[in-house]
Amino acid sequence: MIDAEHIYKNFGDIHVLKDVTLQVNKGEVVVIIGPSGSGKSTFLRCINLLEHPTSGKVMVDEDNLTTMKPKQVIKVREKVGMVFQHFYLFPHKTVLENLIYAPMKVKGLSKDDAVKRAEELLNKVGLLEKKNQYPNKLSGGQKQRVAIARSLAMEPDYMLFDEPTSALDPEMVKEVLDVIQSLAESGMTMIIVTHEMGFAKQVANKVVFMDDGRILESNTPEAFFSHPSTERAQDFLEKIL
Amino acid sequence: MNELISGFKQVVPSIPYIVSGIWVSLGIAAGAAILGFIGGILLSLCKIGRIKLLRGLANMYTSVFRGTPLILQLAIAYFGIPQIFNMGDVNPLTCAILTFGLNSAAYMSEIIRGGINAVDKGQLEAAKALGVSYWPTMKDIILPQAIKNILPAIMNEFITLTKDTALVSTITVTELMRRSQIVAANIYNYFPPMLISLVMYYIIVMILTYLGRRLERRMRRSD
Repeated sequence: MIDAEHIYKNFGDIHVLKDVTLQVNKGEVVVIIGPSGSGKSTFLRCINLLEHPTSGKVMVDEDNLTTMKPKQVIKVREKVGMVFQHFYLFPHKTVLENLIYAPMKVKGLSKDDAVKRAEELLNKVGLLEKKNQYPNKLSGGQKQRVAIARSLAMEPDYMLFDEPTSALDPEMVKEVLDVIQSLAESGMTMIIVTHEMGFAKQVANKVVFMDDGRILESNTPEAFFSHPSTERAQDFLEKIL
Repeated sequence: MNELISGFKQVVPSIPYIVSGIWVSLGIAAGAAILGFIGGILLSLCKIGRIKLLRGLANMYTSVFRGTPLILQLAIAYFGIPQIFNMGDVNPLTCAILTFGLNSAAYMSEIIRGGINAVDKGQLEAAKALGVSYWPTMKDIILPQAIKNILPAIMNEFITLTKDTALVSTITVTELMRRSQIVAANIYNYFPPMLISLVMYYIIVMILTYLGRRLERRMRRSD
C-alpha cells in the first residue's frame, strides 16, 4: 500500500502542495487529473522521493520514506517503478541494454537471466525486434513502451506514470495507453497522472482531481465524470471535453 | 644560405637522436593525460556535489593551477619543493608527469563539469527511479554521455598538453625540444635541429587530431 499523508511541498516561497493525502491500496489504479501547475507531477515525484516533501509522511508498505536514510530510500525505489513524460531512456545504451542495466546492477541478476526477462517484456510491449536498436532510432511511442518495459524489468510492486503520453504525437498515444491498460488488467498497482480523460474513465478505480496544490475531489470515475461535486472540477471538465 | 645547407648536413647524424625524443614527450603527455583525466573527474564530482568543503577545495585547486604559469609550477615542483623538504635529487621525469597531470586536472575538471551539467537531469532521475545508487549512475549513465559530448574539448586539452611538454626542457628532461637545443649547441647552428622538432610536433598533433576524430565518430554510433 502507498500512503501519502499531509504532504506539503514548497519551492522557495511557492507552495506547490498544500496538505495532500492519498491512499492507494494493492491492485488499485488511481488516476490524478487537473490543470497544469496544480501539483500533480510534484505529488507523484514525492511518492518515490524524487522530490523531498517539505513536510508530511510517505509510506510504501511498512517503510516510512520520509524518515529513511537516502541509502534505504534507494532500496525502496526498486519496488516503485516510474515512467516519465520524456521517457529518459539511456541514449548510449541499446534497448536491451536499457532493460538489463538496473536488474543486473541493482538486483544482481546474471546477464542471461536479465536478458531473458528483458526479452519477455519487450515481447509483451511488442518491440522485441527493436532490442538492438539505440533509442534515437525509435518513435516516441516506441520509446515510451521501452521505458515502461525498463521499469517493469525491476519487477516493481507499484508503478507511477507521470503524463506518459503528453509528449507523444497523437497517433502514438493509443499504443502506449494499451500497454498501460494491459498492465492495469494484470493487477498492477498504479498511480497515473494524465490528461487522457477517456483513458482515465476506462482504467481508473479512483479519479483524483487536483487544483492549486490540493486534492479537491476523489471519487470513482463514473461518479466524477458524470457529476463532479466541486465547481472547479465542473469547470475543468467542461473546458477539456 | 651556405651556412644553412651545411647546417642541415651537420644535423643529419643527429636526426634519430632528436626524433626519438618524441617518445619522451609523448610519455609525459600520456602519463599526465591519464592523471589529469582521473583527477579531473574527481574534481568535477566535488564541484557538482553537495559537500561544501569539497566544492570549495576543488574550486580553489582549479583557481591556483589555472592562475599561475605552468613553467613556474614546474620549477617549483622540481627545484623548490625538493629543497624545502630535503628530498635530494628527484627524478625530473616523474616530476614533470605529476606537475602536468595536476595542472591538466584543473582544466579537465572544468570541461567535465560542463559536460556533466549538459546531460539531461532526467537521466539521473530515471536511474534513481530504477533504484540505481549514485556511483553506478555517474559511472555508467552520466559520465559516458558527458564524455561523449566533451570529446573534442578533451582532445584539445590533450593536444595542448603534448605541445606544452616542451616546457620540461627547462628541468633537464631530454625530450624533443631539449634534444634539439643540445644538438644546436653542438653544431653551432640552431635552425635545422629546431625545424626537425617543429615538424615532429606538428606530425604528432595531426595524428592526435585524426585519432580524436575517429574516436568521436565511433562514439556517435548511438546518435
